[in-house]
This record gives sequence, C-alpha cells and structure tokens, in this order.
Amino acid sequence: MPDGTLLSLRQITKRYGSLTAVDGLSLEVQRGEIFGLLGPNGAGKTTLIHCAIGLLEPDGGEVVLSGGNPREPRVRAHMGIAPQVLSLYELLSAEENLSFFGKLYGLDGRRLAERVASSLAFVGLESRRRDAVKNYSGGMQRRLNLAAALLHDPEILLLDEPTVGVDPQSRNSIFDNILALKREGRTIVYTTHYMEEAERLCDRVGIVDHGRLLSLDTVQGLLASQGGLPRLVVETGGREIELFSADPLGELNRLAATAPIDRFRLEQPTLEQVFLNLTGRTLRD
Amino acid sequence: MSAILALAAKDLRLLIRVKSGLFFAFAWPLVIAILFGAIFSPSGTESRRMAVALADEDQSAGSRDFAALLAKSADFDVRPASRVESIGLVRKRQEAAALILPKGFGEASQQMFHGTPPKVEVWIDPSRQAEGAMIQGLLFQIVMKGFQKKMADTGAMRAGLRQSIEEVERSKAPPGQRASTARFLESMDRALGEMPAASGAGGGGQGAQWEPLSIEQHDVAIQQEGPRNAFEITFPQGMLWGVLGCAMAFAIGFVSERTHGTLLRLQMAPIGRVQLLAGKALACAVACLAIEVTLMAIGRFGFHVVPHSWALLALAGVSTVAAFVGMMMLIAGLGKTEQAAAGVGWAVMMPLAMFGGGMVPLAFMPHWMATAGTISPVRWGILAFEGALWRGFSFQEMLLPCAILLATGAVCFAIGTRTLRLS
Repeated sequence: MPDGTLLSLRQITKRYGSLTAVDGLSLEVQRGEIFGLLGPNGAGKTTLIHCAIGLLEPDGGEVVLSGGNPREPRVRAHMGIAPQVLSLYELLSAEENLSFFGKLYGLDGRRLAERVASSLAFVGLESRRRDAVKNYSGGMQRRLNLAAALLHDPEILLLDEPTVGVDPQSRNSIFDNILALKREGRTIVYTTHYMEEAERLCDRVGIVDHGRLLSLDTVQGLLASQGGLPRLVVETGGREIELFSADPLGELNRLAATAPIDRFRLEQPTLEQVFLNLTGRTLRD
Repeated sequence: MSAILALAAKDLRLLIRVKSGLFFAFAWPLVIAILFGAIFSPSGTESRRMAVALADEDQSAGSRDFAALLAKSADFDVRPASRVESIGLVRKRQEAAALILPKGFGEASQQMFHGTPPKVEVWIDPSRQAEGAMIQGLLFQIVMKGFQKKMADTGAMRAGLRQSIEEVERSKAPPGQRASTARFLESMDRALGEMPAASGAGGGGQGAQWEPLSIEQHDVAIQQEGPRNAFEITFPQGMLWGVLGCAMAFAIGFVSERTHGTLLRLQMAPIGRVQLLAGKALACAVACLAIEVTLMAIGRFGFHVVPHSWALLALAGVSTVAAFVGMMMLIAGLGKTEQAAAGVGWAVMMPLAMFGGGMVPLAFMPHWMATAGTISPVRWGILAFEGALWRGFSFQEMLLPCAILLATGAVCFAIGTRTLRLS
C-alpha cells in the first residue's frame, strides 16, 4: 500500500447468489481526503462499504485498512462508521448510547466522559444529551449517528448516506460537521446519491453503478472529462436555441450579431450530467 | 471482559426501560404464583375445621365424652389414633395437631372446682404456634360445653358436688382455702337443691385456684413429606414462567438489534463474535437470576416457601438459567424478524410450559402428560426447584434434572449461535 493510502480495495467482488453486487472494484483512499462514492440506490455502495469495514468477506479481492485486515477487531478500531440505517438504541438517551459504544472501543472513566461530551457538542446535541433518542427528530438522530462514529476518534470515517431523510437544517448542520472534520484533516469516505453533496464536500469522487467503478477523479476532473460542454440556452424571436460549446460567450456574441436575444442561460456540467454520460440514465432513475 | 459487561449492562438497561416487559418478567410470574397458590391453598376452598389426631389413652367415660364432644365440634376434624400414630401424623404434616388424653383424664374430669384438672397433651408443629393457641381456645370452649351439660343434670351435679366436698375436706390444702372451697361447694349444692331444673351455671370457679382443663403443649419435629403449602408448588412454576418470559424478551430483543441496525454497529466495534454473544447471554442470565431471586425472596418472606437446601436451590436456579439462556439464543437464531421470533418462540415455549408443569402442577398431571413432559426443560426446571424446596432431593438426586437442564442449554446455545445470522 503506497504511503498516504489509508484504505485500499483491490479487485473486490461480492455476490449474493446470482447477483453480483460488487464486481472487481478497486480504489484507494488517501489520508486527509474526503472520498465520495456516488451512485444510485442499489449501485453496490453499501455492500462495498461493508466489505471495507470487514462486515462482509468479499468473494474475491483484498481490503487493506491502516495496513491490516478489517476483519480483525483491532484493525476495525481505526475506523468509525455512521451506517445508513440508524444504529442507535431509541430507549436510551444520547449520552447512554455514546457511553455504551465508547466502552466497546475500550474507553472508560474520564476519557469516556470527555469524548462523549465533545462528540455531543460537535453535533450540537449537548443540551438534549439526557433525552431518549426516540424523542429526537430524524435529523437529530442522524447527527447522533455521526457522533457515535466519531466517539473513539478514528483515523477514517465512513459515512453511508448520512443525510437520508433529514430536514434541510439538519442537512446543513451535518455538512458543517463534515467540513469541520475535513479542516481537521480527517479521512472520510462518503457515500451518497445526491450529486450536490458530492460536489460540495468531496475531494475525489468515484462513480459506481452495477457494482463497478465507472470513473474516479476530482470533481473538477470528472466534470472536465465526463461532463461534456457547457449548455447555452438562448431565447430569440420566440424560439429557444440550445448549444453545447467550450466557448459559450463567443457563441452568445455570434448569435447576438444575427438576431436580438430575448433571454439566455448558461448551464455548467454537473455530476448528474457526468453520471448520465457514463450510464445513459440519471442518478435518481 | 469490559465489552461483555458493557453489552450486558446495556441490555439490562433496555429491559428496565420497557415497563411492559419488566411487568411480564417480574410481576406477572409473581401474580401467577400467588394467585394459584391462594387458589390451591386448603384454607381457601375447603372446610375451616382443623384436622387433629386424637389418642384416648384413658378410655374412660369422661375421656370418651370429651372425644365425642370433639368429634361433634364444628371446629375439629378428628382422626382417632394411638399416641405414636397421632404424633407421627403431625410430624408428616398430615394433621395440624395431635391431642392426647392421658390416663386419669376421666377421673380428673369428674372433679369440680378443686383438685387436678383433666389434662390434654397438645402436640403441634412449632412453626404453627398460632394454630396451637387457637386449639387451646377451642379445647376450653369444648370443656365448658361439657361443664354446661353437667350443670344441666342437677342430680349428677349434686352427687359430684358432695363427692367434691368430701375430697376437699380430706385434702391437704391450707385450712382457709379448704373451708372457703367447701363453703362454696355447699352453697352450690343448696342452690341446685332449690332449683331442680337449673339450666346452666356461671362456672363458679371464682375464688378457687381451679381450672376446668390443663393443656400441656408439645412441639413436634417435622418430617417433611410433600409441600408445606400450595405456594411451594406455585412459586417454582412462577419462577419458570419468569425465566421463560425473560428468555423470550431477550430473544426478540436480539432479533430487534438486527432489524434496527444496532447489531451492525456492534459488529463494527472492535469486539469479536464470541464477546458479542457472551454479552447477550450474560444479560439474559443476570435478568433470569434476578427474577428467580426476587420470586424466591418474596416466597420465603411472604409465603413460607422455604428450601430444605439453599445450595441445591442455587444449583437448580443456575441450571434453569443456563437452559433458558441457550433457548434464548436458539429462538434468536430461528427468527428473522421480531414477529417471526415471537411466533416461533411462543409456539415452542407454550407446549413446553404446558407439558412441563408450568400450568398444571406436576403432581396433578395425568401419567401420559407427565411422561410427555420429560422432553420439556420447564419440567426439569420445576422438578429441580421442587427438589430443593420440598421434595427433599439429595445432591445425587438433583444431578439428573440439573444435568438435563445444562445439556439443554449447551445444545440450544450451540445450535442458536450457529444459525444466528448477525448481518
């Protein structure tokens, strides 16, 4: 594993009967980056994450996390995960949940109390720490799910669709948390099917569909290589003209010289476009 | 180890948070034990007559009259027997008390207002002192009835009084007491002469140090055979119901962890499968033991459920817990969802409880049912508890039920952990 690589997946294959959920997929996650796994529901992201954390044993390939096999408990201690399914005890309070999870990671006494307090403060739930989780909103539960992942101060954080089903306010709060973690230099693997989240948060993005990695690059790199040309839409003389051009301003000037322009708009390529170009369908299909 | 303890503490905390689960784990078995114990208690349904054995060693007219009065009494259910038999019946708790009318009872009963009163020996279980006091009161009542009868027969009464006056004059009592007793008896005699049909007397013993009956109470060392009360049958049943309910609650809770995703986080923690399963088993075992201890404490201090051996009771308790922790794991392994686990669990547990003596006490079961019940760990659990409570099992006799319980636990645990899909 090259220096700076924290997580390495090599030719990972996972099958469920006749269904191949992950098909020979390879990628590496570097220290300090936010790595996005973008793909529609059912693309194989969660299966891939479960292989990465040692929960599932791949049928083929190898996973290396912090130099070890995540199937071993001591290697798993290097990572924290916020699963897509909320993994919290609803009858316990936030504080009780975190204390329990902390003990599983070997925390105790003052260190445990400090980590519980700082994790709750980080996600803005310290004032509700004694409330039973069942009384939390969906967004608050998602934030607590994130706090549970951070509790033991892991090297790498795996966030599996961390904003599913949350209100805009909680989503922004979670984004702020993730950006704060990025500033701390934390390594994060972030799976989502929301392209705007990947664009906003991720340093590099791997686009996954049908268990395969279709493309992997920085957001700008993907847009440049797979997004196609900017789209210029011009309304003139009661009709709409659509143009794809590397020089939209030049095209606009040329059109203005021939006819009066009533209205125009310029659309830059997005990851949605990248996905469409790569798969022939949209992320939400 | 700290991870296992943390897992167990978390599960126990969750158990406590679900009030309905807590009720069915702790309170419901207690309700069953007390309710059925009260229903099966003789005092609840049967005659309130006190069962006594009577040994008439005097065989005189006086003692036979007394025995007849006892037999006619609405307060006593009398079984005639010899002295040895009577005391033996009390020892075996087949009779509440043994009443012995010793030699000289009849002669003494003829004396009125002086001399040695007729003596009755009352042999009783020392733990039933309250009943002893009640028996004494009832005996005095019966004696007074006899006295009343004598007073109604004026002729016999006057003959008795004259005999008593002669005996008083011959006695060695202090002259003052002799004279006053004689004067009292003479005035009684005169009064009876003036009232030939006198009906009843006021029991004029005042002034004389005389009592109509002398009761000598003795304690009988109890030889245990059978339960001392119905609660000794229903409390083992209650404990088994509690343990069974607890195992079901933990099995469903385990499945719930899988369906709600919390098991995923547990598996991602740096703990192994063995630790995870051990934590679950420990929590279930602690809760089951707590139920047993709670019920036993209430039984001991509230309902006279007393083990003949605390050590054997502990062995029975631990063996039963081991069996049901194993069954908890098996049910958790069989159920894919909470509903499936509950369905499978109760479908298995109810027949086991039914045939195992959880509903009908083992002692009252038809033979075929008792035979069928041998496959049920509930039966062996109840038998082990009863063995330690009232069946008087030795350590060797306890080995069979306890070994079956431990083996059941081990097999179920092994199958359960193999079939349990954690993810």
